[in-house]
Amino acid sequence: MASEKIHFDEIISKYRSDPYDYVDMYAVHTGLVRFLVDDGIEVQGVSGEWNHIPGSNLYEITRERNPKVITSKTNGTVSYLNKEVEGKFVEAGTKLLTVRHPLKKKEIIEAILQEVLYLFIAPERARYYFSMDVQSRIDQKGARSIVINPGDEIITMSLMKRDTPVYYDGEAGILHSVYFSPGDSIDQGVPLLGVCPEEKLAVVQKIITRVKAEWE
Amino acid sequence: MLSHSALCRLARESSPDTRYSPDTARRILRYGAPVGSYIEHHHHLSRCMDHLRYLVHEGNSVSTPDTGSVVWADKLSDSSGRFSRPWHAPPGGLYLALLWADTLLPEFSRQIPFAAGIACCETISSLGPSARIKWVNDLHVGDKKISGILSEAMAGPDDEWFHLIGIGINVNNTVFPEELQGKATALRIETGRCFDLEEVCSLLLARLQWNFGLLYYAEEQWMAGADRTAVAKKGPLLERWLELSDTPGRLVLYGYDVQKKPLYQAKAMDIDAIGGLIMKLADGSQVTEYSGEILYV
Repeated sequence: MASEKIHFDEIISKYRSDPYDYVDMYAVHTGLVRFLVDDGIEVQGVSGEWNHIPGSNLYEITRERNPKVITSKTNGTVSYLNKEVEGKFVEAGTKLLTVRHPLKKKEIIEAILQEVLYLFIAPERARYYFSMDVQSRIDQKGARSIVINPGDEIITMSLMKRDTPVYYDGEAGILHSVYFSPGDSIDQGVPLLGVCPEEKLAVVQKIITRVKAEWE
Repeated sequence: MLSHSALCRLARESSPDTRYSPDTARRILRYGAPVGSYIEHHHHLSRCMDHLRYLVHEGNSVSTPDTGSVVWADKLSDSSGRFSRPWHAPPGGLYLALLWADTLLPEFSRQIPFAAGIACCETISSLGPSARIKWVNDLHVGDKKISGILSEAMAGPDDEWFHLIGIGINVNNTVFPEELQGKATALRIETGRCFDLEEVCSLLLARLQWNFGLLYYAEEQWMAGADRTAVAKKGPLLERWLELSDTPGRLVLYGYDVQKKPLYQAKAMDIDAIGGLIMKLADGSQVTEYSGEILYV
C-alpha cells in the first residue's frame, strides 16, 4: 500500500506522457526460438466470446522436436525484440520481446488503483468463486461493506473438479475491487481482489474521482 | 474388513497392468501403500467428508490422522455432490472418504481427481459392467451414472494441506428418487448380483493404492527428466485415463456448473499433459479447460 501522501499530479502526468502498458514476454520453457513478428509490428490479443481465439503469433519455441507457438495475450505494438536469440537455444524465462499496449481510461484507473491497493492474486490458473459466507455478505450488503482479515477463507479455487479454500494473507481492509466474476477462469498471477485499509478508502476514492475528471 | 497388509497384497494381485516391470510395479505400489492404512467404519454418518474434516481438526489431540486414512459409512443422511446437488446415499451403496497429505507437486496433485476416477472405473469394471469415465471423473455405465467423486482440499491445524476424496458407488442400492429415475444405475442392476460391500471396498482401496502410486511414479519420471520447466507430455496415469474414458470425440456442453449454466457446445478432442480438456468449437478454434464440467450432447 502506498503512502497516504499520494502525488496525484505525478501519477496522472506519468500516464499522460506514457499511456501504455509494457507487456514483457519470456520463454515459456527451454528451447530453440524463432520469432514470428518484427519490431514495430502491430499484434492482436485474444478475442472471441470465450477468449478462445488466440492472439497474433509471436514466437515459436521448439523442445525435443516439439514446436510450440506462443501468441499475444494483448493488443499493441512490438516495441522490443531480443534479436540476439533468434534461432538460438534459450533457457526458460529468457526475455524475448515486449508488446506495448495502449491503455484505455478504465485501464489507467485500474492501473493506478493497483498501485495503491493490496492485490490478492490468483495462486494458480483455475476458476474462482467466493466462499459461501463472503458471497452471502456480498449479496446482502455489497463488496465494499466486507472487511477481510488475514486468515479469512475468502475464495474457493476450483481446478480439475477439486475445490480448494484460499485464505487471505494480505493486510486487513475493505474489499474495494473485485477483478473476477464467480466461475471465471483466471490465469496464475492475475489479481483477484484489491483490498484497501479502511483509513485509506477516502484517498483511493479521491484518485478515482480525479482521474475520471481529468482524463480525456 | 481386510487388514492393511492384506489390502496391500490385494493391490499387488489385482494390478492388471503388465506394461510395468515387477520392480517398477513394486515401486508404484509402495507409493500408494498408505491408502487404507487406517479405516474407520460407521453404520451411519451425515457425510464422510465432514467426519474426515472433524478427525483432522478435532478427532485426535496428539496428531492429525495419517495420510491414506479412510472413513467408510453404510449410509449417509446429508450427502451432497458438487454445487450442493443431492447425492442419494441409502444402505447398499459404498460411501467413503480418503485423506491424502498434499505431498505432490502442483502439476501432479491436480491429477488426484483423475486417479480417483480411474480407481473407481477399474473397480466397477472388474465386477462386471463396463464403466467409462467422463472428464474429469464422472463414472457411468451406458448413459447412467453409477458413481460420484468429490475432491476438496483443506488446511490442517498445523497449516499442512490435505486432499479429501469422497467416493460414492451405487452397489446394491437399486431404488433411486424420482429425479434420478433413468439417470442412475447400480452394480446390482447391471449384473443382477448382490455384492459384498466389504469386498467392493477392498477392491476400490486396492485400485486407489495402485493409481495414487502411479501418480507419484509419473511425478518421479518427470523429475528424472532433463527439462522440468513444464510437463510436456501425458504421464502414465493420464494415458490410463484415456484408455478408460469415452470423452474424446464426443460432442459436449461445457460449463462451470453445466447443469445450471452451460456456456458452450464443443467437440472434446483430447486431454493435455496435465489433464486439461482440449475442445474444438464450432468456428474451428480450440479451447482448453482446467475446471468446470461437461455433459454429453
